[in-house]
Amino acid sequence: MMENPFQIIRSTDQPPEHLRKEVMTSVKLVMLVMRFLQLFVADFSMSAFDKVRRVDPTTPAKGKGPTTETTP
Amino acid sequence: MLFKKKTKPDSQLSDEELVTELQRQMDADRFGVLYDRYTAKVYQKCMGMTRDQELAKDLTHDIFLKAFVNLSKFDHRSKFSTWLYSVTYNYCLDHLRKKQRYRTTELKEETAIADGAEDRSEIELLSLRSDRLEPVLAALEAGDRAILLMRYQDELSVKEMAEILALSESAVKMRSLRARERALGMYQQLYHEEA
Repeated sequence: MMENPFQIIRSTDQPPEHLRKEVMTSVKLVMLVMRFLQLFVADFSMSAFDKVRRVDPTTPAKGKGPTTETTP
Repeated sequence: MLFKKKTKPDSQLSDEELVTELQRQMDADRFGVLYDRYTAKVYQKCMGMTRDQELAKDLTHDIFLKAFVNLSKFDHRSKFSTWLYSVTYNYCLDHLRKKQRYRTTELKEETAIADGAEDRSEIELLSLRSDRLEPVLAALEAGDRAILLMRYQDELSVKEMAEILALSESAVKMRSLRARERALGMYQQLYHEEA
């Protein structure tokens, strides 16, 4: 039976050694960026929720907590 | 936590276990295990698609980075190797299509395949001389080359190809037939004296 010519031309090359270091450096850089973004996003939402409170307009505000109400 | 208590060394974890751990917490060293397992395969696929060592190296780098960034999207419905295979083929295809002016004529996938046409073109293709197959593949469009390599070099089933290419099985069959026909046509163009 004739051998499949696609198997004969199959590449058996090995990737260069230094590629691993390049990929790992890039992966670490991506991790750093992702962590930085997570930190920023987490802090942003935390601070946003810390500063904003839903206030019922029918009841007077109590205490000195943060509020979205504006005073003239 | 300063010291992580590990039950199994990373090298002994299955691909899917490693991915689960990576989805829980990013870890470059753990990803390195997956890199070591698949780098040769990915590189060889890129070589098969591009026949260019420098480009294959760059594509392999980008594919692993893309895989790392998109690991959270891996839903464990398929094997990790199939998913990575899909990322590899699609990334290479995108790259090659951008590079060469890819003919965008859509195939009529509903066209019925004539009886015996599949077998005939397959027998003809597999009887080509291997030293002449390379120039034929190089002259084909990236999409046709990818289909033929998947089918006859990686010996994927139609179902696996459909999953990787996000197509129906009948569409894969039709594209395979068209790719074979174009390869045979290219062979005749390049080596017409023997046709």
